[in-house]
Amino acid sequence: MSEEKFNFTKAYKEIEEINEWFQREDIDLDEALKKYERGMELIKKCKERLKQAENKFEEIKKKYLKDE
Amino acid sequence: MRPNQILETEAVVEERIFSVSEFLDFLNEILVPKKVVIQGEVGEKINNYPKYSFFNLLDKDGSLLKCFVWREVIDNLGVNIEPGMEIRVVGFPEVFKKRGELNFQVEKIELIGEGILKKQFEILKKKLEALGYFNPEIKKPIPKFCENIGVITSKIGRGALKDFLTHLGNFGFKIFFYETKVEGVFALEEIVTAINWFNQNMPNLDVLVLIRGGGDWESLKPFNSEEIVKVIFSSKIPIITGIGHEDDTTLADLAADLRASTPTAAAKILNESWNLAKINLPKLELNLNTLLKKVFDAVERKLTLIKNDLTLKVQKEIFSRKKEIANLGGNLNLRFKHYFRKFEFLEKNFSKNYFEIKKIIKNQKEKLKIILESLNENKNRWQKRLKEYLKQEEKKLLLASPYLKLKQGYTITEDQFGKIIKDPSKLKVSQEIITKFFKGQVVSKIKKIRR
Repeated sequence: MSEEKFNFTKAYKEIEEINEWFQREDIDLDEALKKYERGMELIKKCKERLKQAENKFEEIKKKYLKDE
Repeated sequence: MRPNQILETEAVVEERIFSVSEFLDFLNEILVPKKVVIQGEVGEKINNYPKYSFFNLLDKDGSLLKCFVWREVIDNLGVNIEPGMEIRVVGFPEVFKKRGELNFQVEKIELIGEGILKKQFEILKKKLEALGYFNPEIKKPIPKFCENIGVITSKIGRGALKDFLTHLGNFGFKIFFYETKVEGVFALEEIVTAINWFNQNMPNLDVLVLIRGGGDWESLKPFNSEEIVKVIFSSKIPIITGIGHEDDTTLADLAADLRASTPTAAAKILNESWNLAKINLPKLELNLNTLLKKVFDAVERKLTLIKNDLTLKVQKEIFSRKKEIANLGGNLNLRFKHYFRKFEFLEKNFSKNYFEIKKIIKNQKEKLKIILESLNENKNRWQKRLKEYLKQEEKKLLLASPYLKLKQGYTITEDQFGKIIKDPSKLKVSQEIITKFFKGQVVSKIKKIRR
């Protein structure tokens, strides 16, 4: 369930935000390096997530429903 | 107690003697659980009461079923039932004990015929729209990247599920499929249950997809009801609908947080952001590298600029200081020169003056000496002349002195105060007077005064 912790939506949004952040004038180098590293880490994770291509299909069993 | 169980124990029925009430209860216990759908035509006589209505359902051959319906059921329908209307009723039979009549308890009414259904659709749409159920502002946002998807549709039928699954890209979706009917009298109830079940048991799903293949207007009935609108509205999980063909917009579509025209379109919508991410991620990565390089370049440029600027500034400063010092030196030199010149001039002047003063002093000294000499000379002369003058004056004085007169025999008379008497008129008789002689004096008393 460790992959549950990784939220693709949030990660992707953060990557976009980092990209946007870099569009600013007057960028602090230290901060830029931090943002860059964070961005690269997220991109790596997102790419890994995209590689897990297989869809999973599960049918909700009616019997199970009735038991509830 | 279940009616089936009673029916199975037939022996009990034979042995038992019912009261009327007991028998009707017995009948109802068998009848009430039998939920059925009946189609027929609404009869002429409809008795409307504030909370319920009675009407008859007829067949062409004259068969008649008395129906009881709560007002609420008709309200949910959107349109009123009218004589001659072809309808389907869902409910159960029950014997009214006070009348001994069989009534059909209507739980749900379905309209039949495209005309009346379209009319019902328009009425419900207007009503629900006014109540705010289709308001775009209350729609829940669909997460950009949906991973956990609840799918509600039929397994059989027109292949909505197959369409959806085949068009869903392989992006690691987790699909939870809940099978329901999507057509017919019981479809609505099942769909409502499914939506509620997902909300209660899997509230963390990203999205619910409610799909159904194309069909005629009548077959879309479950999706054009007030109940489905309300359940979609109240779902905490956002809902995407993909119902029927592209042209069919059902009330469920209007209430949905996002309407996909077909099951295929729903799948494509879910794929979209993943597809984009797949394309964009390498771009973003490249971009980030470029951006960082840009930052480095900017910093480097800035540093060079600062360096150049600093060098320039230092050079300028040194230059300006040098110039200042040179200026000061020049100035100082000039001043010194000026002072030297002045000094020289003064010195020259001084030596020149010194001699002049010396000369003047010498002259003055000589002058003084002459004056002093002449003064001495004059003094001696004046002394001599003064002595002579004094001798002469002494001789004159000696000649004028009263003593000389006295010697010659003249006398001088004075009063007792020593005042010389020149006029005797001021004297009195018997007053004493003093007469001075050259040698001695006499005091006499006046006897007589002549004038």
